[in-house]
Amino acid sequence: MNTHPYLRAYMAGIFTPSLVLLLVLSLFILTRLVFQVPIPIERVIVFPMALVPNLFGVWNILYVWSQRRLPIGFHGALLPLIMAPLGAAVGKILGVLTVGTQGATWFQQITIPYSLIAPVFCVALVIYYLVWKYIVGSLNRVLGIA
Amino acid sequence: MNTSEQERIATLLKKALPPVGAKGITDGASDSAQLNRDLWPNMLRRLQQPPAPLLWFESAWFDWALVAAVAVWLAFFPAAIPVLLYHL
Repeated sequence: MNTHPYLRAYMAGIFTPSLVLLLVLSLFILTRLVFQVPIPIERVIVFPMALVPNLFGVWNILYVWSQRRLPIGFHGALLPLIMAPLGAAVGKILGVLTVGTQGATWFQQITIPYSLIAPVFCVALVIYYLVWKYIVGSLNRVLGIA
Repeated sequence: MNTSEQERIATLLKKALPPVGAKGITDGASDSAQLNRDLWPNMLRRLQQPPAPLLWFESAWFDWALVAAVAVWLAFFPAAIPVLLYHL
């Protein structure tokens, strides 16, 4: 099965965020439509819906293209370096992220002090490392591109 | 292509390609000798060798430690969960 390795890499990459998207959409419907929580999630829902699965797919293509120089966990852990600034930029443009003197505020509700932003980023790195090592890595093995 | 041409090409091909196992193909007697050796003892030795030690980040304990660290951190700072969900 040596044909279309990049297509298979893309499909293995988008698998995880597409599944998580169901969870995110369910949470969105529950919080916004059922419990009427006043957080304008719909303004930024396009970010996880459209951009993130494609980024995962393209990142996995890049992993296959680079002939697997880095272990897949570390390769995946590099993705937040792109996604975090991108997400912040989208949030800032759409008005869901405001930057104040104390910290950054998401959805006019959740304020994270600047001292906590680096640990949050590290947590994201760890989650990505584990997701890529165990889920995307095993899918790559199943599809014969590991 | 008629029969005589086919025979001529067959003869030329036979002349050009020496039979497999001849000295010209294996490029010397040492290669032939190596291929004629029994490879199974080497294979058995290799199978009996202990596996290469895992690097620190390849061990399962490291991943479990990461999971535990993330869980503890999120338990202390639950306000960060929606932000993480947005950025993940």
